[in-house]
Amino acid sequence: MGRVNDDQWLDKALDKAIHSNDTRPDFQKWVATHPQAVQSLTSRAPQATPRPLGTRRILMNGTFIKLAAAALIVVAAIVGITQLTRKPTPTNDAPPIIGPVAQETIAGPTTHAFADGSSVKLLEGASIRTSATPGKRGFEHLAGRIEVTVAKGKGEFIVTSPYGQVKALGTQFTMDLVDGVAENTSQPVRLLNVEVTEGAVEVRNAKGVQTLKPAQNAVVAMDAAPYDFDQDPDLPEALRQRIAAMIKAFETGDRAAWAANFNMDYIYRLGKGEVPYDPNLFGGSAEDAERIKQMIAQVKSLDEMKQLFLTTINISEPVQVYVRSVELSQDGQHARAECVQRRSASHLVTTTPQWHHFDNAWWQIDD
Amino acid sequence: MGIESLEQSDAGLVEAAQHGRLESFGALYERYHNPIVALAYAQLGDKHLAEDAAQEVFAIACRDLRSLRDRDKFAAWLGGICRNVCRQALRVKTRTVPLPREPADDAADGRSERQEQSDAIRRAVWRLPDGERELIVMRYFDGFSQAKISQVLDLTPAAVNGRLTRAKRRIAAWLKQDGFGSESWDA
Repeated sequence: MGRVNDDQWLDKALDKAIHSNDTRPDFQKWVATHPQAVQSLTSRAPQATPRPLGTRRILMNGTFIKLAAAALIVVAAIVGITQLTRKPTPTNDAPPIIGPVAQETIAGPTTHAFADGSSVKLLEGASIRTSATPGKRGFEHLAGRIEVTVAKGKGEFIVTSPYGQVKALGTQFTMDLVDGVAENTSQPVRLLNVEVTEGAVEVRNAKGVQTLKPAQNAVVAMDAAPYDFDQDPDLPEALRQRIAAMIKAFETGDRAAWAANFNMDYIYRLGKGEVPYDPNLFGGSAEDAERIKQMIAQVKSLDEMKQLFLTTINISEPVQVYVRSVELSQDGQHARAECVQRRSASHLVTTTPQWHHFDNAWWQIDD
Repeated sequence: MGIESLEQSDAGLVEAAQHGRLESFGALYERYHNPIVALAYAQLGDKHLAEDAAQEVFAIACRDLRSLRDRDKFAAWLGGICRNVCRQALRVKTRTVPLPREPADDAADGRSERQEQSDAIRRAVWRLPDGERELIVMRYFDGFSQAKISQVLDLTPAAVNGRLTRAKRRIAAWLKQDGFGSESWDA
């Protein structure tokens, strides 16, 4: 029979007849079309440590013109409206180990020390799986926030995750695996954040590679290359600093630092009717601008308005902010970011802050 | 150290997914979607039906993942679900094997010689016993590695090799009977 043993022709023919180029996995689409299956899986997700009873924090939308909303919240808190309180959510027990596993799975809170001197601190809700392969340094990151310290001079150390891998040579870094639903949009939020404390790491997935140095971080999503806005060459340095200032203000719970990112002088002049409403310079609507005018009608000075502004900002405790992307307008004067605020393991909010360049600086105009 | 060798293990992803981590199930979906479509295609003989079946397979897997005890066997477990889903589909729909058409009819239709060759190949593939057909389709559908085929079909690499060789011998013989030898593909 022909060339049965020399079957290159058959390989070619089979490939031509059977090969498929148009089959591509699309997990997001599958999730959207199978909500019940997804629900059955995610309903088993470990819940975050319940937050104490108290007034629910609400992030201002728009610039600072949600004075009325903030005032309402304060009044509500004072009169003790119970609807604004959050009931503790019972913590799910981790499901029992179902079958024998070759490697060890470790759940936080705990600190695990490796034989080479490296260690990993697992916060509440975090879990890892150690490697059983001799000679390989590293582990699998399964969930939550972990802090890794790698012993130096012993070869590469690699942490894998569903979104990519992190390679380190003697360093300290933090990984936060986020998987939840945004409270404000009800959309799933899934990403890995990697932040370097010391040394350097390489973050890699199928879409790209990003090298990080101390104080740098990258956000890694399933369908995108690792992104670090601070290393985005398309963004002006002044804008990057402004974005970083916003993040730091949230992380430190510093409302004054957060407010300093807005052009208060412009807002004061807008409120006093000295400058016209311009949606590029003021993130709120024209109605919001009118509301500002009414609110500061009795205010006598810029400083007085700033003080009033600070009392309305509802930032009281540290919030982690991860920047997934920043888009710059074609004229280079406007920027919009996609962010995730991680207030606890399961309390997530997505935001799209915006900045505009005017009065010789980059100013945040929307939060 | 290559990325592939450092890919998170199936067992690790399964364990995380069993704890409710959707992104881990997503990674498994990305990893096995195409092999499962290929396996379903081998059963159903229709790519659109195979795509639909794969969606159903992952829905069942997502729902029943907690029942999986041997996490290292996730791929084989998924393959088993796929065969069951396809069996169900075939109960309600007569198997839609793409072919068989007589060469003479094809010529009369003005079909190209290449098309005839492809039809002859597919006809031969779908004459194979189930086990061999699954292997051939998975091997040529998207060039899956021997390791991945072994995992999904729960066979040893040696068994995969042996079956592939036997299947290709059969196909070559049937092609020759149909008048398509190696020279038909040399051009």
